[in-house]
Amino acid sequence: MELKKLWKKFARSPLNIISLIIFIFIILVSLFPGLFATYDPMEMDVEYFMEGPAASHIFGTDQFGRDIYSRIVYGIQKSMMIASLSIVFAAFFGTLFGVISGYFGGIVDMIIMRVIDAMFAFPTLILALFIIALFGASVSNLILAIGVVYIPIFARTIRGSAITLKELLYVKAAKSLGKTSFSIIMKEIIPNLSSVLIVSFTTNFSTAILSEASLGFLGLGVPPPEPTLGGMVGEGSPFLLSAPWVTLFPGMIIAIIVLSINIIGDGLRDTLDPKISK
Amino acid sequence: MKIAYILGRLLSALPTLLILTFFVFISLHLVPGDVVDIMLGTQNYLSEEQVQDLYKEYGLDQPLIVQYVNWLKKIITFDLGTSLRTGDSVSRIISEKFPVTFELALISLIFSLIIGIPFGMISAVKRNKLPDYTFRVLGLIGLSAPAFWIGAIFIVIISSLFPDYLLFGYVPFSQDPLSNIQVMLIPAITLGLMIAAQVMRMSRNSMLDVLSQDYVKVAKAKGLKNKKVIFKHALRNALVPVVTTAGIQFGYLIGGTILIEKMFALPGMGRHLLQAVTQRDYPVVQGIVTFIGVMIVILNILVDILYSFIDPRIELK
Repeated sequence: MELKKLWKKFARSPLNIISLIIFIFIILVSLFPGLFATYDPMEMDVEYFMEGPAASHIFGTDQFGRDIYSRIVYGIQKSMMIASLSIVFAAFFGTLFGVISGYFGGIVDMIIMRVIDAMFAFPTLILALFIIALFGASVSNLILAIGVVYIPIFARTIRGSAITLKELLYVKAAKSLGKTSFSIIMKEIIPNLSSVLIVSFTTNFSTAILSEASLGFLGLGVPPPEPTLGGMVGEGSPFLLSAPWVTLFPGMIIAIIVLSINIIGDGLRDTLDPKISK
Repeated sequence: MKIAYILGRLLSALPTLLILTFFVFISLHLVPGDVVDIMLGTQNYLSEEQVQDLYKEYGLDQPLIVQYVNWLKKIITFDLGTSLRTGDSVSRIISEKFPVTFELALISLIFSLIIGIPFGMISAVKRNKLPDYTFRVLGLIGLSAPAFWIGAIFIVIISSLFPDYLLFGYVPFSQDPLSNIQVMLIPAITLGLMIAAQVMRMSRNSMLDVLSQDYVKVAKAKGLKNKKVIFKHALRNALVPVVTTAGIQFGYLIGGTILIEKMFALPGMGRHLLQAVTQRDYPVVQGIVTFIGVMIVILNILVDILYSFIDPRIELK
């Protein structure tokens, strides 16, 4: 019942529906890239070398004669995997720190928040780059780097909500019934954070995709020859004027993915935020 | 009152700065191997004694906390060590490269305010009408498109339409101001688009907030013209949060300059940081990252203090 109402509200905007369809399609592509790719993403075709879009290679080929469309398909898989795992990582630790900070307050809160403040002092890209610089570029280090960078963002949001929640009557009632802090946090606080978490998860997921693409563009993402969307833009940019398709198509796909997630995020916020509902 | 607030704000930044510098310091010790190992690289012809001397020279034989305090003492005097590759002092590298990055970020910020504020205000005033929808969709695209992709599109379009336009080849402002602005303009716009979109969203929300306030309703009820209400009463108040948040954005623009400086081959601090990362030139990486972190903390304090002058309700909690 409740869900049905929320869906109706979300579906009121056609833009939300279109974005959702695009996003579901992107998830399908990243789950089953083999179904969508027309070539092996690593296969080099010496006869088709930096060729523009044509019937055989719809997005053209790159400087090694590899099919750009198929590389994009596998690139989507890598980007989606790295971004989603990083955000799960960030959401887990961010919620942990945020809830502890907000619920207990006092000195614990102060220490956690000062550390969070210090992390906030770095632009996300600089911090991620710094972590990659220390540990080197690999898929797991990328997930760690982007994940760490997004912890403070989650922690701050969750802390704010936790502070509000702990003052509510039913939480106070649970406390006076002698329930332990752990059980109050697990049973009363965390379940009520779900709408805040869903919204931050979506909005940060889109920026995480951008972060991963930016690192790839800088040459600090998944090492070549694995295809990644940002990496393709970075590797193609020296040939930008002679073969613009090598750069422009993967960049366009990044923009489409991020745009669809942003629209869904906005839609979810409007749907779940009781203040905006009319 | 005000002095107490300013002092309090400055004091509250101290632990942040300490944690930040400690974080940068300690993280370099997490690297497999240490600075000496990296410096030596494949040259293993040094005797054990010479290696020990190197450790002493870098103070690596002392306890970690002593090393940290010594390093702190140095960075307070802006001594950030020397590059492992070129032997140049890191502070000199920063003072040479930062002006390029600063100029890029400054032009971007100005651009984003010029575009973002009017669009956001129009969007708010024409809420749920065509201009609002158009600007909001444009804003979403601005927030979603990666800066390096926008930059690539600009390069392709401009070089085919205006082959004579100076897109690459940085010229210092002091040498040729006109060429300098020409070279910086497109990179700055590319970098500024995302911030412009954020400023636009913020201006829209802020203006909607103000428009729903009682004093605006009273002004309207008193029979004042809509235009007058918007420009005389609402606009000024709506701008306060926008301008101050833009100050904070400036720090984050510095992060984005890495992408843009690489794309447009500008000799700024971001590109140098990237180069240092790929060369594993740790003192340079450490120095630039510390510089950026400390700069942003100080910038945020300045913005807060500025804000407290604009909005007298703000006090230290």
